[in-house]
Amino acid sequence: MKHLLEVKNLETRFYMQDGVVKAVNNVSYTMDRGEILGVVGESGCGKSVHALSMMQLIPYPPGKITNGEVWLDGQDLLTLSEEEMQKVRGREIAMIFQDPMTSLNPVYTVGFQIMEALLLHNNMSRREARDRAGELLELVGIPGAKDRLDDYPHQFSGGMRQRAMIAMGLSCEPKLLIADEPTTALDVTIQAQIIDLVKKLQDELGMAIMWITHDLGVVAELAHTINVMYAGSIVETGKIHNIYKDTKHPYTIGLLGSLPRLDDAPGTELVSIPGLPPDLLALPEGCPFAARCVYRIDKCLAEKPPLVEINGKDHAVACWRWEEIAGMGSR
Amino acid sequence: MTQINPEEFIVTDFAVREHRSLWGDAWRRLISSNTARLGMFVVILFISSATLSHFFWEYEPKKDLDYSLKLKAPNLTVTEEIPSIHPFGTDKLGRDIFRRVVHGGWNSLRVGIVAVGISLIFGGVIGLLTGFYETITMTTVERITLFGISGFLLGSLSAWIANQPLQLVGFTLLGLVAGYFEGFWAGQLKRVVFFSVLGILISAVPALFAGSSVALVCGVLGLLTGIFLALALDGRFFSNVMMRIMDMILSFPGYLLAIAIVAFLGPGLGKGMIAIGVVGIPVYARLTRSAVLSVVNKEYILAAQSVGESHGRIIFRHITPNILSPIIVQTTMGLANAILSAAALGFLGLGAIPPEPEWGAMLGDSYRYLTSGAWWAVLFPGLAIMLSVLGFNLLGDGLRDALDPKLRT
Amino acid sequence: MKADMKKLVEVRNLKKYFPGSESSFFHTGNDVKAVDDVSFDIYEQETLGLVGETGCGKTTVGRTMLHLYRPTAGSILFNGVDLITLGEKELRHQRRKMQMIFQDPYASLNPRMTVGSIIGSPLDVHTKQDRKTKQDRVQELLEMVGLNPDFVNRYPHEFSGGQRQRIGIARALALNPEFVVCDEPISSLDVSIQAQVVNLLEDLQKKLGLTYLFIAHDLSMVRHISDRIAVMYLGKVVELADRDEIFLNSLHPYTQALMSAVPVPDPDLADKKHRIILEGDIPNPADPPVGCNFNTRCPIAVDKCFKEEPVYRETADKHWIACHLVK
Repeated sequence: MKHLLEVKNLETRFYMQDGVVKAVNNVSYTMDRGEILGVVGESGCGKSVHALSMMQLIPYPPGKITNGEVWLDGQDLLTLSEEEMQKVRGREIAMIFQDPMTSLNPVYTVGFQIMEALLLHNNMSRREARDRAGELLELVGIPGAKDRLDDYPHQFSGGMRQRAMIAMGLSCEPKLLIADEPTTALDVTIQAQIIDLVKKLQDELGMAIMWITHDLGVVAELAHTINVMYAGSIVETGKIHNIYKDTKHPYTIGLLGSLPRLDDAPGTELVSIPGLPPDLLALPEGCPFAARCVYRIDKCLAEKPPLVEINGKDHAVACWRWEEIAGMGSR
Repeated sequence: MTQINPEEFIVTDFAVREHRSLWGDAWRRLISSNTARLGMFVVILFISSATLSHFFWEYEPKKDLDYSLKLKAPNLTVTEEIPSIHPFGTDKLGRDIFRRVVHGGWNSLRVGIVAVGISLIFGGVIGLLTGFYETITMTTVERITLFGISGFLLGSLSAWIANQPLQLVGFTLLGLVAGYFEGFWAGQLKRVVFFSVLGILISAVPALFAGSSVALVCGVLGLLTGIFLALALDGRFFSNVMMRIMDMILSFPGYLLAIAIVAFLGPGLGKGMIAIGVVGIPVYARLTRSAVLSVVNKEYILAAQSVGESHGRIIFRHITPNILSPIIVQTTMGLANAILSAAALGFLGLGAIPPEPEWGAMLGDSYRYLTSGAWWAVLFPGLAIMLSVLGFNLLGDGLRDALDPKLRT
Repeated sequence: MKADMKKLVEVRNLKKYFPGSESSFFHTGNDVKAVDDVSFDIYEQETLGLVGETGCGKTTVGRTMLHLYRPTAGSILFNGVDLITLGEKELRHQRRKMQMIFQDPYASLNPRMTVGSIIGSPLDVHTKQDRKTKQDRVQELLEMVGLNPDFVNRYPHEFSGGQRQRIGIARALALNPEFVVCDEPISSLDVSIQAQVVNLLEDLQKKLGLTYLFIAHDLSMVRHISDRIAVMYLGKVVELADRDEIFLNSLHPYTQALMSAVPVPDPDLADKKHRIILEGDIPNPADPPVGCNFNTRCPIAVDKCFKEEPVYRETADKHWIACHLVK
C-alpha cells in the first residue's frame, strides 16, 4: 500500500548570528491514510519545526530547509512553488495551533473565518459556505452552532475556540490534519473533551492526524504510532504498544520514568533524566542524547546511531546499545 | 563492554549559555549596526566640538561686529579684500558664521540637556509612581505623602483662582488626613460627606475675602476635591489625577504651549529650556508609566514582595533597571527634539537673545538675505541643526534595535 | 498517620474578592469571587496539594496566604498567629517563615540582576550580614539546589528553564522558611526537567523539614508529591482528603471527573479506563451559578443542587467534601 505521507531525510537549519541552529536533522518516516501519528518530544526538539517545514511555513531567513523530500500522495511538497503550496495548505494539509487565543483573528466573526477557508478552496456561494460553516461548528460540538456563527472569538471560551479551530481545519476535508500541541493551553477536563472529539471525528471522517505534543499521556490515549524526537532527530518510532510496553531508547525510557503514575506506590522517587538537552547551535558529533545517557559508551560520543528497524516493521530505534538495554526500562 | 552504573554516573556540568551581561550584549549589537555608528559619530562630533569650543575657543558675541566684512561668501584663502579666513562665510554684521555655528552648538547642547533633564526627571518620577501604585497597595506612609501631593495639586487650582495661598496649605493637610484615615468611620458615605464639607470650608471661606462669586467657584472646587480625596483611597486615584493632568498638558500643541510659556516667562535661552522641558514632561510620564506597568505585573516583583522587600527597594532594584531601555531611547530622540524646538523658538525670536549665537536665531536673522544671494548664512546653521538632529535620531534608532528585548530569548 | 501532628497553618473562611469593574470611583458589576469561603489546615512537614483548573482560585489562595493579596474576609493562622491582624512591620518579619516558588521561571527572576543578588535579596532585607557571609550563604544555597556555586555572577538569561526554577527555589530557601507555597513550580518546564525539580523539592523537604502547599493542575504530579490533596472548583474547596483516599475513594463528582480526565501514559490502561467527560465550560467566577457552583456541569445533579449551596463538611475521618449527594 502506498503511504499517504512520506518524509525523507528532512533537514531544517536556522542561520542565526551566533551560528547555525540544527533544528531538524535527517528525519524520515511514513504515515498511512487514517493513521493518528503522535510526535512526542520536549520543547526545542524540532517537532513543531519539522511540521512547519512540511508546510513550507519556515520563516526565511533565517530558516531554510536544506535537504529532504516530503511526499504527500505522490507529490513532493518541497518542490512546489509558493502559489502551489497555497493550494495544498488548507485543502490537503490543515494545521491547528497551540494557542486558540491568538490563532483566531479577533476582528472577524468565527463564522466568517471558517467561511473564508471554504470560499478560498471550493467553488461555493456565500450561502452554501455559511451553511457548511454551521454544519462544521455543529460537527465539532458547539451547542447552538448556527446561532454562534456571528459571534466573535472573544465570546468563545478557550475550549470552544479550539473546537472552532478544528472546524476550520476540517473545512476542506484535508487528507492530513496537523495538530500542534492543540490541548496544551487547555484545562484537563476540556482537554478530555477535545481528545474525545478528535477520536470521534477521526472515526467519522477518516483523515490522518499528526498530533504534536510533549505529553506522553495524551498520545497514549489517541495515537496509533509514535515518533519520539530529541534534538531534531527521531530517536524511536513505532506502534504505540511497542513504544510504551517494549521501550528501547534510553531517552524514551527516561521520559516515561519521569512521569508520575496514578498507580505508583507512595514514596517512589521519579526517575529523572540528568542534565539538559543539547544546544542546537553546537550539536555533538555522536548521539545527541549521549551526554545525558546512563548507558553511554565511547562509540555513542563518536558516531551518531542510525534509526534501525527491529521486530519486523513496527518499531525502529536510534541507539547503538538497544539490544542490551531492551527490557530494562519498560514497566 | 563496560556498563556505567547509574549511581556513579556524573553528568557533565550543565551547559550554560555564554556569560555576557545584558548591557554588554546591547553594546555589541549597537556597534555592529552601521546607522548607529554613523549616528554615534555625528553625536560625538557635535558634543566634542561644542564643549571644546566653549572652553578653549574664546568668543564674545557682544563685541563681534565688523561691517566691512558684511555678508561675504565662504573663502578658504586670505585675499586683500577679506583679510581673514571664513570657511562658512560671514553674516549681516560681518561675523564669522563658522565660529558662530560651532559656538551655537554649545547652546543647543545646553538646551537639549536641560530641557530633556526637566522632562525626564519630572516625567520619569510621575510615570514611575503612577505606574507602580496603579497595582501595588500603598503603605500608610506612602499614602499620606502621595495624598498630600494630590491635595496640594488639587488645591492649587482653587488657591490660584482665589489668590489665597492658605487654601493650598489647607488642601495639602486635607490630603494628608484623607491618606491617614483609611478606615475612617468605616462607611464610605460618612467619609465623603465629612471631607466634602471640609473641602468647601477650606476653599470657600478664604475666598469670601476675594468676593462672593470667587467663593462660589472655589466652594465647588473644594467640594469636588473633598469627594475625590475621600472616595478613592488608593493608588489608582493618585495615578488617575496625575495622568489626567498630563493629558491636559498634552492636549496643547507642543510648540504653542512652549511659546505660551516663554511669552509668560519672558524670552531668553534659559526660559526656553524650561518651556521645552515642561512640554516634554507628559511624554516621559506616559512612556515611563507604560513601561512600569509592563514590568510591575511580572512575577519577580511578586517574588520581591513575598520576600518582604520594601516598595522603595522594589522600585530601585527591580523596576528601574528594567524600564531603562525605552527611556534611554526616548531620551536620545528627545535630545534631537529639544534641539529642534530650541531652534524653532530662536527662529521666532523667543529663544536666545540676539548677539548670543544660536542656530535657530541665526536662521531667523539671515533668511531675509537669501534673496540677495547670501545662501551661506542660512545653509550652515540649517545644516548644523539638521545634522545634529539626524545624529541623535540615528543613534536613538540604533539604541532601540540594540535594546529591544524581543531579540532575546 | 498524622493524627498527632501539629497544625502549622490554619485557613479559616478565607475570602478574596476582586472588584469586578475597572472604575476607580464606583465599583459597578459583580465582584469576582476568586476565593469564596475556603477553610483548611496544613500540618507541619506535610505537603498539601491544591488542584483545580484555570480560574478556580488556587493561585489566589496561595498568594493570599502569604499576604501578597489582602484577604476580603477570613483568617490565616500561622503558628497560631493571625496574619491579618499584624501590622506592616510584624508581617514583614513573619514573611521570613513563609516563602513562595513561582510558576514561570522566566518571569520570576529579575533579568537585570545577577543570580547572587537575586538569591541574596532576602538576606539583604532581613539580616545584617556582611558581604562575605552573604556570599557564602548564597553559594551554599546554589549547591543545595544542584547548581554550580561559581554561577553567582551570572544572569538569569544564561540559564535554562529548569535551572532558573532552581534559582527560584534557592531564593525561597534563603531565610530558612518553615512553609513554602509552590505555585505550579513545574508546569512550565519540560517533562524530563519536571522530574528533576520535583525530586529536588522532595529532597529539600526531607532535609530541611519544610511544609509545602503544592499548587498544580497536573493531578498525577500532585499525587506523587502530596500527603493530602484539596480539590478546588470556582473559588471553593470541593473535596479534601488523604492522597490515596482522593484517588481511590473520591466522592465528589468533580474530583471523579478530573481524575478520569488525566491522560495516562499507558495505552492499555487508557483503553480500559472509564472516562467521565464533563460537558460545557467553567462558569464565569463573576457570575457563579446559584446553589452548588458545579451544577452546570455535574452529571448527577438533582433539584436540590440548583437551590441550595452544599455545606463543606467532614464525612469520613479527615475526608472533607461539599456535595449534597454524599451521605
